[in-house]
Amino acid sequence: MNKKKVVAMLLAGGQGSRLKTLTKHIAKPAVPFGGKYRIIDFPLSNATNSGISDIGVLTQYKPALLNSHIGIGSVWDYDRNVGGLRILQPFTSEDGGRWYTGTANAIFENIDFLEEIDAQYVLILSGDHIYKMDYNDLLEVHKEKCADVTIAVMEVPWEEASRFGILNVDESMKIVEFDEKPENPKNNMASMGIYMFNWKKLKHYLVEDSKNKNSSHDFGKDILPKMLEDGNKMYAWNFEGYWKDVGTVKSFWEANMDLLGENNTLNLYDKDWRIYTRPKNLPPQYIAETAIIDNSLINEGCVVRGEVNNSILFSETRIEEGAVVNNSVIMSNCTIKKGAKVNNAVILEGITVEEGEIIGKEGGEEIYLVSDEGILVE
Amino acid sequence: MDRCIGIINGGDNENNFGGLCKHRPVYMLPFGGRYRLIDFTISNMVNNGIKSVAIYTGKKMRSTMDHIGNGNPWDLNRRFNGLFMFPPILENDYGLYTGDIHQFHSTEPFFEYAKEKYIFICNPDILAKVDLNEAFKYFLDTDADFTLIYKKQTDSDGDFIRKDKMIIDKDGNLKSMGLNLGTEKEFNLFLEMGFIKKDVFLKLIRQSIERGDTNYLRDAMIQNKENYKVNTYEFKGHVENISDLKNYYDANLNLLNEEIANEMFYENGLVYTKSKDEPSTWYGRDSRVQNSIIANGCIIDGNVENSIIFRGVKIGKDAIVKNSIVMQKGIIKNDAIIVNSILDKYTTVEAYARIAGSSTMPYVVEKNQTIRKDE
Repeated sequence: MNKKKVVAMLLAGGQGSRLKTLTKHIAKPAVPFGGKYRIIDFPLSNATNSGISDIGVLTQYKPALLNSHIGIGSVWDYDRNVGGLRILQPFTSEDGGRWYTGTANAIFENIDFLEEIDAQYVLILSGDHIYKMDYNDLLEVHKEKCADVTIAVMEVPWEEASRFGILNVDESMKIVEFDEKPENPKNNMASMGIYMFNWKKLKHYLVEDSKNKNSSHDFGKDILPKMLEDGNKMYAWNFEGYWKDVGTVKSFWEANMDLLGENNTLNLYDKDWRIYTRPKNLPPQYIAETAIIDNSLINEGCVVRGEVNNSILFSETRIEEGAVVNNSVIMSNCTIKKGAKVNNAVILEGITVEEGEIIGKEGGEEIYLVSDEGILVE
Repeated sequence: MDRCIGIINGGDNENNFGGLCKHRPVYMLPFGGRYRLIDFTISNMVNNGIKSVAIYTGKKMRSTMDHIGNGNPWDLNRRFNGLFMFPPILENDYGLYTGDIHQFHSTEPFFEYAKEKYIFICNPDILAKVDLNEAFKYFLDTDADFTLIYKKQTDSDGDFIRKDKMIIDKDGNLKSMGLNLGTEKEFNLFLEMGFIKKDVFLKLIRQSIERGDTNYLRDAMIQNKENYKVNTYEFKGHVENISDLKNYYDANLNLLNEEIANEMFYENGLVYTKSKDEPSTWYGRDSRVQNSIIANGCIIDGNVENSIIFRGVKIGKDAIVKNSIVMQKGIIKNDAIIVNSILDKYTTVEAYARIAGSSTMPYVVEKNQTIRKDE
């Protein structure tokens, strides 16, 4: 059986500077999400659930925590005899060391790796996105259309379309035009930054692009428009489901709150499409007699004695008696002391909110980001 | 502790647990929301630096195989040392094998081959977070052949009647071992764990086989105690001795006491178990949870009080769960009422159904059963 090999390349070097103190010590893919996960758990789990057995994870910005979180990938069953997960960091060679200067450049620098493992298809993924996707659906369309590249797209609200890279297609979903952040979008199909390439074709364009001094070495800005210009077969595949790129503190907070909404479409309880993360081996949560909990997600090791409404508590967080937490995301190892009130906040790991302290306003529009550097309002 | 092998002597004493041990050994009983009893024993060994752990599984070993696997959660999936599983040998040419002596004898090469000179052996039905490094040091410093671990146990409720009672002299050596009949306020409860020199262990096994006078290591040791130095080590922490349905139920509910929970869950390191990758637990708008331990992956819309809820349980609107244990993947539908009960894995309680035991004798719903409302 000569099975054609898909290799996933997961771009996880992003800084996510608009997330402010959330990414002070860690890369954006390592940002905690949904009570117990880190954002990168979603693409990694998608990859393993899609049966992809080779994956390269490209890290660059503050990789220490990300690297130890991923380890050898055993959590996602990537500790394999044949195939598996490799962390691909920038490296030095005869002509010196180079950082990854763009999404395409990061793949270009790892051409040897992809050749070595004999990739047929290369699936480009981003470590910044929260979604559940079976990449086989994308691969099927790609094969069916005999495409050179197939791009996952999704319909976004028309009023937001000008924030995205918009793809204009013909009736067969063949891409006819790229429209990067258009002022007057012709349609609302946005690129999700998920691409399935034929490796040979991609390699050719990566090498060519690397010689172009004016290129920013980016898939969306350079590689894909160039491929279209040259008349390659490029198709769009329409994804339906939850997808979020959390760019700002507010959208990070919103994405977490989405999980508590009545119309939530990101089902974390689906046993056939589990999201895996490194286990912390903590005991269960304890809910005391004095606790009042309403529409909230609570993780292992928490002790709740106070009031928690519409909130997400990560592991080992303690809510003391009389404390009130509303519409907030509280990360691991925080303590909310007696009589403290927390509204519309994102509280980073290990923070103690002192007795009687009040953070945020009830019913306000602002989000309060609490870290050891103080409180930022957004 | 590198010089010590850990042995888990899983027995076949499963008759006192209603339907709960139909398909599993006692040490595989679910405990504390996300664990099995044996997790505490293995984790304590590993956290104290034991590198080789041998498990004598007993007969009903399917759930053991599934749960322990290659020992990965305890980092026992090593290329050197690590986990050894010994399924029982039930008979040979000379007749039926009955006691643990025969099991040990049949695995003699394992002990001979191991470079460790000492053995820590224990019964996984007894939970005690003993600092094994301290105890091992005492064993070595006193140059004992056996060091048996005990607790000075008070027993005003008679929970420890007919448990092993040790008579100890003023130097801490074992004088004799009998049964506690509750005549004293406090007695020395043998925790069925201890250290033994490997050569003494092998000598006792061979001698018992040759003489044919005993089937159990414990008896062989006591019969021969005059020939060896047998001393004792006192453990001062919390002990759960799981030997029947009632104390299994009580041991779970004891975890609602913060002090006990902290000791059992955190002392000497965390307790490891097979991960189920469940998401966080969701508490709905109408939920009311009081004084309960809740594991991950649950969806709770109803009322829970003084209970232990395992992973992936669903509790519907206006349902009431009180003084109960609901194991993995239980489904409690709307308006059902459950009091003083133990629900094994994958049970369903239909809407408006009611079940209740008493606090002295909990009602047990067996694995995969469905309880419907009386018509």
